[in-house]
Amino acid sequence: MRYADFTWHDPIILLQGLGVSLWLFLATSAIGLALGIGLALTRYYRVPVVARLVQVVAEFLKNSPVLVQLFLVFFGLPAMAHINVTPVEAAMITLAGNTAAFVYVIAVSAMEQVGRDQVEAARVFGLTRGQIVWRIIAPQALAFAIGPLIGLAVNQLQVTSLVSVVGVMDLTKVGNILNMRTLKPFVVWTVVGAVYFIIARLIAALGGALERRLRAHAAWAGL
Amino acid sequence: MIAIEKVGKNFGSTTVLDGVELAIAPGEVVSILGASGSGKSTLIRCINGLETVDAGRITVDGFDVAEKAGLAEARRRSATVFQLFNLYPHMTALENVMLAPTMVLKRPRAEVEAEARALLERVGLAARAEAYPAQLSGGQRQRVGICRALAMKPRYLLLDEVTSALDPEMTAEVLAILAQLAREGTTMLFVTHEIEFARRISTRVVFLEKGRIEVNLPTAEFFSEAGGLANPRIARFLSRMAAPEAAAPLSPAPTDAHEAS
Repeated sequence: MRYADFTWHDPIILLQGLGVSLWLFLATSAIGLALGIGLALTRYYRVPVVARLVQVVAEFLKNSPVLVQLFLVFFGLPAMAHINVTPVEAAMITLAGNTAAFVYVIAVSAMEQVGRDQVEAARVFGLTRGQIVWRIIAPQALAFAIGPLIGLAVNQLQVTSLVSVVGVMDLTKVGNILNMRTLKPFVVWTVVGAVYFIIARLIAALGGALERRLRAHAAWAGL
Repeated sequence: MIAIEKVGKNFGSTTVLDGVELAIAPGEVVSILGASGSGKSTLIRCINGLETVDAGRITVDGFDVAEKAGLAEARRRSATVFQLFNLYPHMTALENVMLAPTMVLKRPRAEVEAEARALLERVGLAARAEAYPAQLSGGQRQRVGICRALAMKPRYLLLDEVTSALDPEMTAEVLAILAQLAREGTTMLFVTHEIEFARRISTRVVFLEKGRIEVNLPTAEFFSEAGGLANPRIARFLSRMAAPEAAAPLSPAPTDAHEAS
């Protein structure tokens, strides 16, 4: 006989899928954030060759579908470079790289928004380049970047669903399995969609609170 | 002593400074007057190393600002107050004042904070120490800018048109503090359009014209008929600045939308 009904076990495997999705999201966001900021610094410091190379790669990652990038990593790496990657590894590489490319663009523009006049003041007072980046540029650039970064995070959460295509057992993949077993797509995908929605709202709310704190100094600027 | 020796500076094909020779000894207050575009601000930016000179040499207490180590030492001995304040907007007034002494001079925080609060109190901003620049008026911001410079205990204070962005009332606030510093014997290089004030506080007045030093005289002599005023260019400049309404009859009345809102 066929188990076409929902069982008490189903919410648990959905939660497991959610765990995989969240873990992928958090890990690739952290790596992408660190990598993107690091690459933006190569541009700020005008590191020759590297800065230009980074720009070209970032353009490619921004302007091609994540799914295509995922296929290139998952099928391309073993075929072309004889490096075998598991579905989770392929998902990590692709999502982290993709996030890094967008973080890079956001970070570069946020750093450019910090007024040159303050950087000049800091230089005149004898602060080193590192001190200027850390104490003057970073806090303000973060305040400028936090809005776009939250938007990016919400988007990248949804993008993690693509990794189900190469067989990673994330929330979407679990939904797919439940759907095929129960043949109740409307119920399954409504629940899965609602879970993504709730997580996305949580990210946006946390980010909004962080943004208000980071922009406290600008709260009066409108006066 | 700040020694400026035959300094030349070009921006592209425009000559901004041309053979400038000037020495500022400790204890002097030297005002630099001149029309907009005469090179006054550029001169300050060459002394503090924000611009490199194309010819000649600038030394601060013997340290050549064209050399990396020399510039670092020169920057410790001088401090700049900027026309547009250039405060760090994400830091409170107190943090603005404390940043360089703690980060550059590596002095203990508690000590620096006590001094910073004393400086802010001296310029009447004790109660605003925790305010961000955006919460302060222009005059208050510039007073923070002055504290930030003084916190480094500089031997030379470089003032780059520090009142140009302020209305008359705020200008008076800032000038009162500068006058006090002058009385206390602070060495200052004072680029300004405030001629009356320059006359009151400076020991020497320099007139820059098209990147060249036209006149460099003790203050009394500069404003005497036989001295600076004998130069027709200076006489014309001074009469225009003294009676701006004659030169610009349509200048709008000062407004203060800030207070009204």
